[in-house]
Amino acid sequence: MERSVLLFLSAFTGLCSFAQNTCSTALPIAPGGTYTVLAVDGTQATPANCTGSGGDATHAEWYVFTATVDTTIRISTDYPGASTDTRIQVYTGGCGALTCYDGDDDSGAIYNYASIATFYVYAGTIYHVAFDDYWTDAGFQFTVSEYDAPPPPPDLISFTALDVPVDGNVLACLDMNGDHRDDIVGTSATNVNIFHQLSGGTFQSVNIVTEEAENVASWSIAAGDIDGNHHNDLLYGGGQGATFMMATDDGTGFVKVNFEEYIFCQRTNMVDINNDGHLDAFSCHDVDANVSFLNDGSGNLTFGQGMLGTTCGNYGSIWTDYDNDGDMDMFVAKCGCDPVDILMRNNGDGTFTDVAAELGFADGHQSWSSAWGDYDNDEDMDVLVGSSASGYHKLMRNNGDGTFTDITAGSGIDLFTGESNEWTTHDFDNNGYLDIFGGGGMLMNQGDLTFLVDETIPYNGPIGDLDDDGYLDVLNASTIHFNNSTGNNWLKVALEGTWSNTNGIGARITVMSASGPHIREVRSGDGFRYMSSLNAHFGLGTDPAVLQVEVRWPSGTVDVIADVDINSTLVVVEGQFNGVAEHAAPALTIFPVPATDRLTVSGAHAPNSAVRVFDTTGKLVLQGQLAANTLDVAVLNCGFYVLEVATAKGSVRQAFSKF
Amino acid sequence: MKKVVALLLFVVAILASCSKEVLDEVAPADLNDADRLVLDVQDFPFANLSEYGFFKGRMADHRPVPGVLPFAPITPLFTDYAHKKRFVWMPAGVSATYSGDHNVLNFPDGTVLIKTFYYDHVLPADEQRIIETRLLFKRNGGWEFANYVWNAEQTEATFDMTGSYTPITWTDDNGAQRTINYRIPALAECQTCHKDMGLSVPIGPKPQNLNGPFNYGDERTYAPAAKNQLQKWAEMGYLQRNFPKNIVTTVRWDDPTVDLNTRVRAYVDMNCAHCHRENSHCDYRPMRFAFHETTDPANLGICVPPDDPLLPQHTFIVARGTIGRSLLHYRLSATDEAVRMPLLGRTIVHDEGLELITEWINSLSPPCE
Repeated sequence: MERSVLLFLSAFTGLCSFAQNTCSTALPIAPGGTYTVLAVDGTQATPANCTGSGGDATHAEWYVFTATVDTTIRISTDYPGASTDTRIQVYTGGCGALTCYDGDDDSGAIYNYASIATFYVYAGTIYHVAFDDYWTDAGFQFTVSEYDAPPPPPDLISFTALDVPVDGNVLACLDMNGDHRDDIVGTSATNVNIFHQLSGGTFQSVNIVTEEAENVASWSIAAGDIDGNHHNDLLYGGGQGATFMMATDDGTGFVKVNFEEYIFCQRTNMVDINNDGHLDAFSCHDVDANVSFLNDGSGNLTFGQGMLGTTCGNYGSIWTDYDNDGDMDMFVAKCGCDPVDILMRNNGDGTFTDVAAELGFADGHQSWSSAWGDYDNDEDMDVLVGSSASGYHKLMRNNGDGTFTDITAGSGIDLFTGESNEWTTHDFDNNGYLDIFGGGGMLMNQGDLTFLVDETIPYNGPIGDLDDDGYLDVLNASTIHFNNSTGNNWLKVALEGTWSNTNGIGARITVMSASGPHIREVRSGDGFRYMSSLNAHFGLGTDPAVLQVEVRWPSGTVDVIADVDINSTLVVVEGQFNGVAEHAAPALTIFPVPATDRLTVSGAHAPNSAVRVFDTTGKLVLQGQLAANTLDVAVLNCGFYVLEVATAKGSVRQAFSKF
Repeated sequence: MKKVVALLLFVVAILASCSKEVLDEVAPADLNDADRLVLDVQDFPFANLSEYGFFKGRMADHRPVPGVLPFAPITPLFTDYAHKKRFVWMPAGVSATYSGDHNVLNFPDGTVLIKTFYYDHVLPADEQRIIETRLLFKRNGGWEFANYVWNAEQTEATFDMTGSYTPITWTDDNGAQRTINYRIPALAECQTCHKDMGLSVPIGPKPQNLNGPFNYGDERTYAPAAKNQLQKWAEMGYLQRNFPKNIVTTVRWDDPTVDLNTRVRAYVDMNCAHCHRENSHCDYRPMRFAFHETTDPANLGICVPPDDPLLPQHTFIVARGTIGRSLLHYRLSATDEAVRMPLLGRTIVHDEGLELITEWINSLSPPCE
């Protein structure tokens, strides 16, 4: 008797189970209901995973909910006695065009691995709900409820995921072909796969086979135009050393430049370290002194150690002008064998001084990166030194006079317990204030140096605008998380250096709008591992217009642009906007005027100095060396040019004409 | 008949050594052996390995001269399936002392630890290829490194602390062909693992790792001659006899007769604990993987959330019953050098080690909450 009842039950529930096996046969569910899933053995969906946790499953069980009113629905596998590790996917779009809407993996409070999906529904919309077997195909129960008071905090920011088949280790998101749209870069030992962003959010994949790199971009990657040929070069930071991939002049290939020296690379950067006008490179070293690669002006790099952090434990370097003196200083978040952070002030003469102790940064914080940005829009760089293992974060406000005040208490960050190796800052919701990304959350800046946490976000990855909508997106391996608009206004600024490096790395950009100033620096390498967009991105909240954009270039040139469209990408060519050289350069005199086939240069440089000549578009047209202070320019066409002469104290420039 | 006797002796020797009791009635070492190698550590490092004279005959055969004693830890470190030979040498008249089951022996100045990394069945010629010989020697109270890279002819190894690669393809013990770019470490890489409060230290020669048998063999008859290593060291005069009889000893990680948890503890001790213990490279993370510390499940990371999960699903360092949620498993199965663990010494997955960890995690219950 008992057996026949059991048989009967299993036959009955078997039918139920069958009915849930495909999207098209999904069982309707309604608030107040409790449902039993005996086993997860139905058809998997595409996209397979809306939760951001784990990979694709192989089976799913299907339900469908049709909203009759606008309300919030909660679907939960969390109940006393729950013991199944579930995962929930929620879709809109119908079975033929399923689109991720919501999902959950581990929000259970009673049972940790239970799932609770809470999502807003709109009357008339159909929501397909799939429970998948990524963790287990075991059965479970779930409940559906209309979620009543208190209402859940709204997501402060939301993303929509799209998988793209990028090859290799996807650590970089930046423009690689000069169209100022961010591209996706995946690298391996012998290949660079670039997904070029086309208009309309589509991509074109280009594979560039390279010589085999001794060191792959595993620990970090940095990018910039080292050799001034207007194509971005890549620096692979590996566990045993650094390998550069130098883009060829036509941009279709890379030439490998490997360094034999042992480096346990951590964060890598490109920046003009010695203020000579040439883009250099840098690598944190985990177990030894940090490494610089100084550029001789012809793209030749020289390995060096010393001065920029001489003890081990260097994890996250970031170059920023914290003291507003026009040159790039360096902060290194440190961990492990010598965890005391360093802040190297650039003395402007090629030397650096560690000012961490006097400015309150010399603590054993166990951090792998720090997020430098102007969190209160008062035109100086504040910083969050985020924890990797110490259990506390440190928000330091720049007082504008070269000192800092710890304002962590009461900021909301003091209550945030998430930790991670990555800490970066961008304005993700375009409200005009820089947010913080790390510790499994986004800390959304409310404009008063307080932060609200949203944890329904992607994990850290390269950041750029991959659909050119003015909202910053996040790459997680080969999944793009497109940032859904908040309706706020924005501006992007893309730089084209002429005297300065091609991308304007090291430039300070100030955007004025009704709510005040917003500043950014163009940086190659922030956070710990990734390379993010070289375009400067500004959220402008509800400000209706851009009043002015000022670009202070590494060369000292200042461009001021008054007439700028909001919600657009502004391209600034160095010197194009009545650039004014503010830093007095040593006198450089060129004669005859106008120049003939040979010109003579006088100034405080060596008579055989290296020189470069640029045309008015910033293109390098001649490169060489003075001969007894003269230069043969017979090859130049008639026109206007800029001569750059390398000196011991940096390069100096002077315009000349040739007829 | 002879074979049977030899075998019997071998079994008896192993049984004796497994008793964990160090016998007192060992023969005194002959410290006056006329053939015994004499070296002055103040002259180190030599430019070539042959200058030390550790081996007689063809150097690549590694037949030790008197005073150069082979040894092996009970569970070895995995380094891309490399085979290893290890030796210790000390000057006459000095010896190491015991300073705790799980601490490196307190070695006298002049001690040299020798470790050679090689592969068998290297292609295309299916021959042995020695890649490097690493020395750790103690001078003026501190340990120093000297690394020697073998030439292709296998006749000499030369001093090199800059680090390099040796591409190698070989047939492994399962008959599968493997190819790696073998990494010979630079000085700073040696120190990453071999350090304690920033000072260089050995890792392997601890009583817990040596308190097991080693087949010393018989030079003339080639008969197996297994003996407890601590006992042998004491006989040689390399270890003072006042070490305890009952030493908490690790096990062979692949010994199927030992329980899974103890094998895992032995495995992570040798492969992970050099960085995951106090005063080491990664002591800021919560794991404590040394054999004497892993009696506490929390030190193995069981149900301990990671500082940085790398991927959101890694809710615990070790999630009982679920490898997909265990960051430890993810790192041991990774080859990306920024993800994989151990950090150094491995570029490919240790399949059998990963199997052990998988079996162990799957055996654990209930799920972490």
